[in-house]
This record gives sequence, C-alpha cells and structure tokens, in this order.
Amino acid sequence: MKKPIRKTQGKHFYSHIVDTSSISLSLGDMALSQVERIHLVSLVESQLHHTVLDAVLSELSEEDKKIFLKHVALSAHDKVWELLYKKVENIEEKIQKAGEALKKQLHDDMKGVHKKTKTIS
Amino acid sequence: MIHVGAVAGKNTRSVTEPNMNTANKKTPYEHLKEKWLDRHKNLQEKLRAKHKESLEWVTKNLAPKQLAVGSLGSLLLLTSPGIPVLPSAHLLPATQEVSNTISKNAFVVTDLSHILPNEVRPLTSDEEEKVVQVLSRDFGFTLAAELEGKRLNRSYGFIGQEQHLARYPGDTIATHFDPPAGGDAQKYASEGMAPGLGAWGYFAQSKEQFTEKDKMRETYYIAVQTFLAPGFLDHVKEYGDFFKYRKMLVVNPNNGNAIVAVIGDAGPGESTGKHLGGSPEVMRHLERVDGSFKGPVLYFFIDDPHDTIPLGPVQLQ
Repeated sequence: MKKPIRKTQGKHFYSHIVDTSSISLSLGDMALSQVERIHLVSLVESQLHHTVLDAVLSELSEEDKKIFLKHVALSAHDKVWELLYKKVENIEEKIQKAGEALKKQLHDDMKGVHKKTKTIS
Repeated sequence: MIHVGAVAGKNTRSVTEPNMNTANKKTPYEHLKEKWLDRHKNLQEKLRAKHKESLEWVTKNLAPKQLAVGSLGSLLLLTSPGIPVLPSAHLLPATQEVSNTISKNAFVVTDLSHILPNEVRPLTSDEEEKVVQVLSRDFGFTLAAELEGKRLNRSYGFIGQEQHLARYPGDTIATHFDPPAGGDAQKYASEGMAPGLGAWGYFAQSKEQFTEKDKMRETYYIAVQTFLAPGFLDHVKEYGDFFKYRKMLVVNPNNGNAIVAVIGDAGPGESTGKHLGGSPEVMRHLERVDGSFKGPVLYFFIDDPHDTIPLGPVQLQ
C-alpha cells in the first residue's frame, strides 16, 4: 500500500519528524546573550541539516541523490517525500533515528555546561 | 526544528555585561560554540566526502534564480564551506538588554509552529500529544485533551467574540463593572450583555450570594461546543456536569498569550465557522478578534482537582 505523503509545514522537509524544541528550551535556561543564543541556535540547525542530509543521501543511488538534492534546493517538499517513499524503506524512521542521535549528543553537551542560577534581566 | 526566532531565554544577560567567569574558565557559550563548531565542521566534511558527485552536480546545474527563497540556506549549507558565525556586535544596539527586548513567548510560539498544521483543523492525537507536552512544560500545568474519559470535539479552532453574561438576576451592563464607569467598564462595556443566560444559567442565584469566584468565572469564560463532544448526546447530564466551569488553558499560538478560563457557556453554532468563543476579557488578552480577522487558539483541560489554579492571564514558567 502506498504511504500517504505527510504534510510538511516546516521550513525543511524533515521539520515535522525531528522536534528540537527540547533543545531550544534548554538553551533558554542558560546564561546566554541574545547574540550568543542566535549563534548556538544556528549551529544546532546546521548540524541537524547535515545529519539528516547524510542519513538520506546514504540511502540513495547517485542518480536519485541528484533528484533529491534538486527537490531540496527548490523546497519541493512533496516531491522530496514522493521520491523517498518510493526509494527508501522506512525513511521517516531513519531520519528520526539520525535526528534523535544528534539531539542526544547536543543534550549531553549542554548538560556539561554550568547553568546560571540567578536571573539578570 | 528550531530557528533563529527561538532566542528568548529564561535567564539572560546583556551583551555588554561583564563575564563573571574567570579568564581560565569558559563561559557556557564558549564551551558549546567550540564543541558545536567542531562537530559542524566534521559533519560538513563527511557529507562532502561521501556525496561529492551529487553535491557538485546540484551546484553546477541549478541556477540561483531557480532556488526557492526558503531553500537558499539549505543549498548554501551544502555548497559553501561557511560555518554559521556569531553575528557582528555592531548589528545590535550596544546596550541591548536581551530579556527585555525579546518576549519569552518566542519559545512557545516557535515550538508550536513546528507542530501545528498550516490549516486550522482538528489535531491528530499525535499532534495533540505534542502540543500538550509543550504547553504543560512551558506553563507548568497538567493539561489534557481528554479528562475523565471526556473530550471536546477539537482542541484547536477559531475563536469568536462573546458578550458579557448576566451573573445573577438583575445584573446588567450598568451593574457589571466595579466601578461602573472608567477602568474595565471603559474597556469592556461596549461588547454589551448577551440577550440570554449562559448554558448553566446565572453564576449566582442572587446578588447577595454572588462571590468573587463567580465574578472571575464570568470574566474569564469561554463557550465551547459541548454539544459536539463525542458521547454528549448519550449522556447529556453527565457531560453537562463535567463541562460546567471546567478549567481550560487557552493559548494563542501566534503570540504565546495564554489564559486560564472556565467553560461558562455552550456554543458557537456549527454554521458560524467558529469553534469556540471568548469573553471580551479573554479575547483582549489573547489578542484575538472576531470577523474576517478571526484567528485560532489551542484549548486544553487543566487537571486541577483541588481548584488551586487561579483564573486569568498566565505567564510562561
């Protein structure tokens, strides 16, 4: 049976699969300036992007990689999913697994950081 | 996903605030920046090494004009060796106080934006579960879409404007506010009184019996479509008792404004295109309006068996 194509309302095709709100909340608990926080958020996002792309590309043939990257570059999310469902078994689970592994690393990194206890605002 | 908009924090300090750590000790930012830049670089190198041919192909074969605006960042991440860098300090006001200028609500808005669908429709159970997790964590309440085996027809819908309800026999717009002129009367009297009573009649049987609790219930009431709740028609009395003055958290997902309200009426009708209604005070706090500019809210039961949670606007934890 053909899988339904999931609605992707986020800015990336995988936004509905990898939820990083727990990371944004943890960063919110830390003593960071606005500029620092923005930088760390952008680093999280780029790490996740590379992680997910690698997870997907590793499952595709050379020819399909090109098609996939073209769809990603054009933000054609429906076409991305159409291709992935056709070519890769359990692709959502694979993306989620890769994303969760990275999230665990990020949380571990944050655990080691001293949290400021006094609010200054 | 998180994005740059998710920058509001609970504990923040000024950009120009002196670092309280010693010179030998890394700040949290320095610690994370170092680790995450290293990992970012490794991931980028790994990606390029493993998928070189296809990455080069897409770089050569896609003209910049073909790219959707939203995808530019994605492509740049693929094709450029650049690593996100700290924004230049001169781009921000030198004395900017972070927490004062960015609302804490940014976090809840960002978190919800990754879960909610584009269209306003009933949430799936998976979406409801995620929203409940985010709101429970951010507001510190025990929330649920279903309580004691009962749920409403939906938990995400368009809210419309309701009028004030008569709280006791003889309550009119002239007696509704204290003082009767100025203050709240000036803000809210123009909405007028509803021609009929709420679904459960008066909040108190007489002016003498009218309490502060009754007053708060009418001030912060919502009307929900109790009659569309699954199972309602088979157990009207039981469901009516359950819904009566049941506390709910109502959240505007577009600005993070939230309020604890009670179910004080049933409605609106299905034909209105709206899914719930809010008292003038509820609507003002949520910054929602009726008519063509109506917008959606999230609404979930608050599990408060000992009635300890006060009604009214709430702030993020």
